[in-house]
Amino acid sequence: MTQHKVLIANRGEIAMRILRACVGLGHEFVCVYTQADAASGHVRLARELGGGQSLFRIRSYQDPSELFAVADASQATAVHPGYGFFAEDYRFARRTENRDRPLIFIGPSWSVIRDLGDKINTKRIARSLSVPTIPGSDRPIFDEMEAVELAQAIFAFQNDQGITEGCVLVKASAGGGGMGIEEVYDLDTFRSVYRRIRNYAKRNLSDEGVLIEQRIFDFNHLEVQVAAERGGKNAVHFGTRNCSVQSLGRQKRIEVAPGFDPASLSYAFDASHVLDSITQHSVNMAKAVGYDNVGTWEWIVTPKGEPFLMEVNTRIQVENGVSGVISRCRCQADTKHGVDIISEQIRLGLGEPLGYTQDDVGFEGVGIEYRIIAEDPTDRFTPCLGRIERFAWRPEPWLQVFTQVPTAVDADIAYDIPMDFDPNLALAIVWGQDLGQARARGEEFLQNLTLAGTDTSGAPLRTNLGFLLSRTQTILHF
Amino acid sequence: MLNVKELLEELKASPYEEIEVRTPHTGIVQFVGLNTGDRVLGPTGKWNEKPGTLLANLTREKNKKPICATQKGVVTDIASDFEGKFVEAGERLITIRHFLSKEEVIARILKKALHLFCAPERAKYYFVPEIDAKIKAGGEQSVKPREGMEMFIVSRMKRETPLAYSGPEGIIYAVYFQQGDNVDGGQPLIGVCQESQLSLIQDVVSRVQGEWEEQD
Repeated sequence: MTQHKVLIANRGEIAMRILRACVGLGHEFVCVYTQADAASGHVRLARELGGGQSLFRIRSYQDPSELFAVADASQATAVHPGYGFFAEDYRFARRTENRDRPLIFIGPSWSVIRDLGDKINTKRIARSLSVPTIPGSDRPIFDEMEAVELAQAIFAFQNDQGITEGCVLVKASAGGGGMGIEEVYDLDTFRSVYRRIRNYAKRNLSDEGVLIEQRIFDFNHLEVQVAAERGGKNAVHFGTRNCSVQSLGRQKRIEVAPGFDPASLSYAFDASHVLDSITQHSVNMAKAVGYDNVGTWEWIVTPKGEPFLMEVNTRIQVENGVSGVISRCRCQADTKHGVDIISEQIRLGLGEPLGYTQDDVGFEGVGIEYRIIAEDPTDRFTPCLGRIERFAWRPEPWLQVFTQVPTAVDADIAYDIPMDFDPNLALAIVWGQDLGQARARGEEFLQNLTLAGTDTSGAPLRTNLGFLLSRTQTILHF
Repeated sequence: MLNVKELLEELKASPYEEIEVRTPHTGIVQFVGLNTGDRVLGPTGKWNEKPGTLLANLTREKNKKPICATQKGVVTDIASDFEGKFVEAGERLITIRHFLSKEEVIARILKKALHLFCAPERAKYYFVPEIDAKIKAGGEQSVKPREGMEMFIVSRMKRETPLAYSGPEGIIYAVYFQQGDNVDGGQPLIGVCQESQLSLIQDVVSRVQGEWEEQD
């Protein structure tokens, strides 16, 4: 195995997980941080495991020149983007490879990111492979009659699926950031909304194209974790996960693997068949497009058990660990916590073959991942700033906690939540032999967790622990 | 009651501030031959469009970025150990002793005389569009804050909330923040001058104009 030096172009808990994975695989690492992040766990861990030479203060995580300058100064050979920032930026991935001093981008090839990063293009590719996608247009619609026919078909489909509140989304094709988008609840108002959005698009975006899509409120959000080697010939999946417990802004809060649990719960449809179907479609599509790293196929499943591909995330996701914790594979010797998908990502990114097939991957138990966040669920999940004075939990063999916040074990220092980033404090992954045990352990962890601090006004810090606890008993119900 | 004389004496005892010039980003440092004791100039021109004295160059990915003095003064320290080396963002390169001008002295004293409306928490602050437009059109003093008036937008963690002014009625005499920059909780956003204070302000201005001697 060639030894590499990996620049970790990210922060917080994901940087810590990548760092540990690099050390575990025998690679060197280089970490970066900004002034606002000086107290972050990834800085302390990098200093502890790599010394001062493996740590560089930079102006911003979002400045590629800063990252490349550090890579050159430290003689790094590869870049791991983590999630967010540059993880799905094909231009960054391309620039990484096409420099005077090329670096390996630990992620899919830039062309794959480009092709699957565009939702419309993903939809088009999926349809060409007979993968079911959300009903609607897979290209901009310029003709009003065609738009009305599409809307009619979507309303009829929703009615057929037992969706009580049918809704069609009318979007300016070139729009974004919530501009040029409206929801339509009945066919009577559709025409006027279509005309208005088209007019808006023409005036503001110089592009009259309008997209018509189904808007689904009542659904389960499932994901398939895929891993594929360079060349895209061999691809496997590490099961499904259910990410339906979300905040108001559709931000995930609890993820559960597997996606459904027909052994413990009853569903109005054949849940095992749905899981088999989405994993098969995802792996087939990965092979067909030459996907060559880890990635996530995101699906929605309707109350009647119809799955539709929503999008593909061409990166490691926050919730990869919950798929790893239920996966068993002969690829990694230490299977105490299942498969470390980040290690697999690094191996594959550096050009190693998978070394196993789907037959070598098995699944055991149920995993629950909690995202512990300083926010107020009673006030539209408003983020909270403040100082954490104590953060501690009882270690258990069935529990993994990933956090950049200093804990009672690390040091006796307070931690100010930086305002420059999301107020995510920790990820906790609980494993149980079955759903009942996983839920009980999840509740036990949340009830015994010590998380004390104050917000900027001096009041006790608000977190989402109560929300997570209240939702634990109903996870995977549909 | 504000003791202008005492404040002036205090400033005369230490009539300068030390300005640390730091690296804005990573890169390789090359100083341009300045020595301690050398005088440097800050930016000049109507819009400060002419940069100050070149202090060093910072090269990153083959791009050379000039690092220039942001204020006039005397070089008191140079981190010459960094010459030719790759440095992190935020490293101190040069220290400049900057002697306070009359305007700066007036601003410092006024900060003690005005009613300061401070940032309630660390965030990015903006004026609401109507206030912003008014300031752009007629200057800061065209805005008359009053209790409960919605004046600011507080932006943090991708969420924006309005912030109302609280304090005595008056005019904005000074703005202490740059829109879009992070402001720490407790730092002043604006200084408001009440009508009853206008004579005091005039007194500060005239005394500083008469008593403060600027040093080149």
